[in-house]
Amino acid sequence: MTPLLTIRGIHSFYGKIEALKGIDLQVHEGEIVALLGSNGAGKSTTLKTISGIVRPSSGDVLLHGQSLVGWAPHQIVEAGIIHVPEGRRIFAGLTVRENLELGGFTQRKEKAAIAEGIEQAFALFPRLKERSEQMGGTLSGGEQQMLAICRGLMARPKLLMLDEPSMGLAPIIVVEIMNIIREINRQGTTILLIEQNAKAALKLAHRGYVMETGRIVMENKADVLRADDTIVKAYLGA
Amino acid sequence: MDILVQTLADGLVIGAFYSLIALGYTMVFGIIKLLNFAHGDLYMLGAFVGYTLLSVLGGDSSGGGLMGILIVLLLTMVIVGVIGMGIERVAYRPLLLAPRLSILITAIGVSLFLENGSMIVWGAQYQVYPLQLSHDGISLLGAKITYVQIGLVFISALLMLGLHLFINRSLYGKAMRAIALDQTACHLMGIHVHKVIGLTFFIGASLAAGAGTMAGAYYGTVNFMMGFVIGLKAFTAAVLGGIGSIPGAMLGGLLLGMMETAGTFIFGGSWKDVVAFSLLIMILVLKPTGIMGEKVTERM
Repeated sequence: MTPLLTIRGIHSFYGKIEALKGIDLQVHEGEIVALLGSNGAGKSTTLKTISGIVRPSSGDVLLHGQSLVGWAPHQIVEAGIIHVPEGRRIFAGLTVRENLELGGFTQRKEKAAIAEGIEQAFALFPRLKERSEQMGGTLSGGEQQMLAICRGLMARPKLLMLDEPSMGLAPIIVVEIMNIIREINRQGTTILLIEQNAKAALKLAHRGYVMETGRIVMENKADVLRADDTIVKAYLGA
Repeated sequence: MDILVQTLADGLVIGAFYSLIALGYTMVFGIIKLLNFAHGDLYMLGAFVGYTLLSVLGGDSSGGGLMGILIVLLLTMVIVGVIGMGIERVAYRPLLLAPRLSILITAIGVSLFLENGSMIVWGAQYQVYPLQLSHDGISLLGAKITYVQIGLVFISALLMLGLHLFINRSLYGKAMRAIALDQTACHLMGIHVHKVIGLTFFIGASLAAGAGTMAGAYYGTVNFMMGFVIGLKAFTAAVLGGIGSIPGAMLGGLLLGMMETAGTFIFGGSWKDVVAFSLLIMILVLKPTGIMGEKVTERM
């Protein structure tokens, strides 16, 4: 079966700096895949390359076998890939509801789908419903992360890419977010997850990749990676 | 009392024109952080396109009645709106990632192009608008307010109300506000950012063109340089209201129009521009963020 997402030999540059030096990666339908590594390993660049924000200098990104290289970011979203960026980047000056509506921009032809998506988001996080008319910027960090995830789901993605959803959040909130990610996956969305918190991510994921300075240095089942203390210590520092 | 009311009424008409132009300034600034110094020339273009349409369609007789005038106004707004979108596509979009100074200089170039292009097409002399508006009106507290003035303010208010609803209620309006906040996040939401920017230019240009046609009919003459000073005034209005803020542009335009008219009455007609631009300097010194503007940290 063709994987949902295939990345083949991706090289990406920031100016003259080569941030990705030939990445190969696959995500199968229904999986949670964790992408691990220390700061500057190229995890975020990998996601940005997939979502079309960064253009690779060579290599290919395939969704269901179809190449996405050279597509504009909005076309990639329409194709079914959503990237929830690092730092959440919700629209601070718009209300929670407006944030969600904009998440459903690609679904704009179907008003009912947007309304339904908002209801689902509120069911997932009742706190967002209480704050639906509040400005996004007034939410706490955890609530903002919940909003960012829900905003991503509004586009009804086949693949949801989350960049450090636990960043800067209290441990108890992290647990809640991780549970929600599992729940979203159970409902049928494939997930590619970047995490600094390797242990938490590997508990959740089916498979994991470890990155170091622009390369993938390890790939295995999540429980194998988790069991191997040296890996965790050497690459993941936790 | 009658003089005060008269001043307010006259100022309101000019202020409505300023507001309509300032809206385009502020929307474009909000979304791509460009001070579009060619914006005043779209007002001029609106006046001339309306002039040509009226000459062709209405003839010199009666101007085709009220419906005819409104149709010309709408047509002008659409035509100049498309021109505004074309300007963005040709002149600004290739420079969106360039330093802000490049795009600012380009805007000045576009302004010169529009002014001189219009001079070639419509001539350098003042043209008389092919429309005679009635001078009838009502008396209010000793001041004379014409039906035309009421009509112009009413149409302007209608346009601004429409814009307000569009920005706050429609998905594209929300996308505009979102792009002003975080363009990258908008890309990631699947928003076709360039299309929305193009739409912003369309709306800004058509509002300025609407003001241009109305001003042409109101003052009776048009000229290829008529957009220059009023462009700067609208910029002043946008800064007064807080640049980037849409209600601010509406309020700033009306306030500037009334203050300028009051200043003209007190100091004399030759001081009109001095009053307006002194105000600009005062705002920049005392409250650079304007009345409704929010303090933002600059990110380049």
